[in-house]
Amino acid sequence: MDYVKKYGELIKDKAGVKPERARSMIRLGLRAENARTKLLPNKEMPKAFRMLTHLAMKSVLKALDHPEKSCWTNIFAPVEIMQCFGLQCVSMECLSSFMSGFKIEDYLIDYAQNEGIASTLCSYHKNFIGGVDSGVLPKAAMSVTTSMICDGNINTFRHMEQKHQVESYVLDIPNTYSPEAERYVVGQLQELIELLETKTGQMLDMNELQAAIQRENESKEYYKAFLKEQKHRYYPNTMTLDLYMLFASHLNIGTQETLDFFKCLAEDVKTYPEFDGKGILWVHLMPYYQETLQQYMNYQEKYYIQACDLNLDYMEPLDAAHPLEALAKKMILNIYNGPYERKVEMIRHLVKEFQSDAVIHFCHWGCKQSSGGVMLLKEAMREENVPMLILDGDALDRRNSHDGQIKTRLQAFLELIDNIEEDKD
Amino acid sequence: MIGYVCKYTPVEVFEAMGVEIRRIQPEVTNFNQADTLMHPNICSFTKSVLEDVLAGDYEGVVLTTCCDSIRRLYDVLKQQCPDKFLYLLDVPRKVNDFSTEMYRKNILDMVHAYEAFSGKTFDETVLKQLLERREAGQNLRTAPKNKASVHIGLMGARCSKGIIDLLENRGVDILFDMTCTGLKREFHVEPDNLLQAYAWQLLNQVPCLRMVKAVNRENYMEGFKDRLDGILYHTVQFCDNYAYEYTNLKQRLDIPLLMVETDATKQCEGQIRTRVEAFIESLKIAKGASIGKKSLKKAEDGKMYVLGIDSGSTSTNAVILNENKEIVAFDVVRTGAKSGESAERILAEILERAGLKREDISLIVSTGYGRVSIPFADENVTEISCHGRGAHYFNPDVRTILDIGGQDSKAIRLNENGEVVDFVMNDKCAAGTGRFLEMMARTLEMDISEMGPESLKWKEDIDISSMCSVFAESEVISLIALNKEKADIAHGLHKAIANKSYSLLKRVGLNETFMMTGGVAKNPGVVKAVEEKLGSKLFICKEPEIVGALGAALFGLDK
Repeated sequence: MDYVKKYGELIKDKAGVKPERARSMIRLGLRAENARTKLLPNKEMPKAFRMLTHLAMKSVLKALDHPEKSCWTNIFAPVEIMQCFGLQCVSMECLSSFMSGFKIEDYLIDYAQNEGIASTLCSYHKNFIGGVDSGVLPKAAMSVTTSMICDGNINTFRHMEQKHQVESYVLDIPNTYSPEAERYVVGQLQELIELLETKTGQMLDMNELQAAIQRENESKEYYKAFLKEQKHRYYPNTMTLDLYMLFASHLNIGTQETLDFFKCLAEDVKTYPEFDGKGILWVHLMPYYQETLQQYMNYQEKYYIQACDLNLDYMEPLDAAHPLEALAKKMILNIYNGPYERKVEMIRHLVKEFQSDAVIHFCHWGCKQSSGGVMLLKEAMREENVPMLILDGDALDRRNSHDGQIKTRLQAFLELIDNIEEDKD
Repeated sequence: MIGYVCKYTPVEVFEAMGVEIRRIQPEVTNFNQADTLMHPNICSFTKSVLEDVLAGDYEGVVLTTCCDSIRRLYDVLKQQCPDKFLYLLDVPRKVNDFSTEMYRKNILDMVHAYEAFSGKTFDETVLKQLLERREAGQNLRTAPKNKASVHIGLMGARCSKGIIDLLENRGVDILFDMTCTGLKREFHVEPDNLLQAYAWQLLNQVPCLRMVKAVNRENYMEGFKDRLDGILYHTVQFCDNYAYEYTNLKQRLDIPLLMVETDATKQCEGQIRTRVEAFIESLKIAKGASIGKKSLKKAEDGKMYVLGIDSGSTSTNAVILNENKEIVAFDVVRTGAKSGESAERILAEILERAGLKREDISLIVSTGYGRVSIPFADENVTEISCHGRGAHYFNPDVRTILDIGGQDSKAIRLNENGEVVDFVMNDKCAAGTGRFLEMMARTLEMDISEMGPESLKWKEDIDISSMCSVFAESEVISLIALNKEKADIAHGLHKAIANKSYSLLKRVGLNETFMMTGGVAKNPGVVKAVEEKLGSKLFICKEPEIVGALGAALFGLDK
């Protein structure tokens, strides 16, 4: 029996009549899952990833238990600043993923679509809008988002401001770097800080922000060390864990807990055996729930996901002496901002660096910025002689990914990369 | 010639260099190249521009960072057209001193790039003179006088010329065009600070939805409120930005609002003709505008007969009424490849059934998809208005109609007089329509007429989750591969249709009494599934396929 599905059905039944009751059920479910993973952890799951799981669950629980102390963001927002004001950042993408974890995404997405929201919009946004509009998700204290990379952000958070009076601050991030562009963003960061100071009645402690940036730099160094070691070691993972990584690499970056996690990751990987499978670099989001992919990718050494590019979008050290300028640069120079060529170059670099055997690009329903350039990436991988598979589907709405189609494509692709090895032999 | 797409483009700067620059208004018929070079799920307008640029002889294209699809279009075009001047101009989303200064610099960078590409030079004085001439010209324009019976406003994403023609040909006055390219370019020249002021004014146009401050845009139409009858809200397939505003306006505005989606191809006018015409009809009815009465001749027996023909995608249906609104005869035939021929056929058959001659018929009113292709029809009315009339004839208590036809499904809300108050239609996808069921019946190797009764024998409750007919078919195929029972699969399909219908009905409001019309109403499996989902009975008349044709005949009798 599928207990999650059953529980999801109960939540959906409640959502229509008593949404706050549905929310309590979600919180209860999360608490139970958090306890279960602590008491009876999956034996295959490495130590660092157990820390990561708790970090992710705790972040979402905090946002649901204390919405008045939480801030909605997208994954690219300068969370380091909000942390200094004691606000828990939770991105609408992560909230939506957790709703999908409870198998209630269909209800929330339909809710948004019935209001008139475009069915072709990214499912993360539809799920989030349906969640808040239906009353299942609580209102945060405010929202901070960036204009870069995804069109949905400005409109989704504007919708929340108009419909639910959740104050929204948008950071407009220019497409390319110039000193003028940096000044423009720094000016906005200053405006944001003033807003946060007024809202919380607390002044920003610049030393605290600098310390957060220092921790961020250290975290990234540990992450790089992990990736270097992982090139020849098998550190068991799952698609869900790769997505949970966003809680560390983005939403909680700069905190001590995140630094501890990356430190553990870099040390723990050294205790794992040499790797003898196929290394796959995953590009863009993952349909963590998809049965066939789970079967081939979760805790499997034979086909091993080395990294997901989303966690590697900005790996340069930040200048802690000039924190606002550093944060402005971090956003403008994010690998997904600017022309697609930058992303292509990064993937080229990564497949060489990780000696990847293959690349899988997942075209998530509604994401134009990634799907629109996918053929350019395919062309580049052809030049690099790295096989690349393009999968179409949905990273959280189960109704938009079809197992039969994914299975055939994936199996044929894995056969293809196995044959390459045989040819080499 | 340089092409551009976005209203924030500094067009006048190119004109000042003596360059012909024109807004790209693609008229393409397919996305063959775009679907391979980009991805099928990219904004249709973007795909149209890609096709147009690859086929056309542009010297270059200036795009802006207006949205994700256009940003990727730039990347793809740059690779495809290395010899053209391709430029992506970064337009800020906020308007303040920092952003204006940045935009001014971005414009200058673009000018330098074009100078290097073309060998032409930019002179600020020439731009100043050009803007001054334009400013003087602005005062001469007067608003055109229009005696149209219906005044509407256009909002949403850019409209093709075909859509505007469609409205104007129906005698509609477009009071304002707030779509993303519909506004006039008007600038005030500030000689001491020319480029900065120009950049600032460009950024300060009525904001499109990519801009941070694009809130309460409905305030811009305040001045038209006394004359405004309705708003046509247009969106482009896979451009999601405008649906947010539509959602918001729908809840806040007290003006009839119709949302239509097109795919920006040359054919797009046909995709929305029915809804737009029905919308105009309902606005006219709301205003009490009469269509004018003719005096009609009577038949040899001294009686008057009126014929309604509903030319649908799957069947063509006809009804003859006499002046007492009694059904004299009706007929249903399958629509062949040419709707006009099926109409000729049904005309001959129904006259024979009624024992009448062609001359006995005083008036012929056509409706349905093929209504304009029936040469012998005197009038045509959309099937939405006709279904309303027809439903009211059969049962005056009906307030909500679900019509599932071969190609379309619609939900229609009626008032107590049987007039259409609101309606929604499915998107272009065939899921949840009669065609979809026919396709699935073929996959299940069943006759379409068996599918309903068979599905009622279901035992295992199967969910078909895909809403897309292509995905649903492969889902059905994999269920067949799992050796599932046909009855169970058919039941799952009917539930999927019921879910889709339910969300359509919800959008017009769930008001009893419900009626179901169209050929699919003959399928007891779908009817049961919809009733279960609704928690209410559906009223179904004896011949659910002729409701539209009957409505058409009733409109004929009004004359």
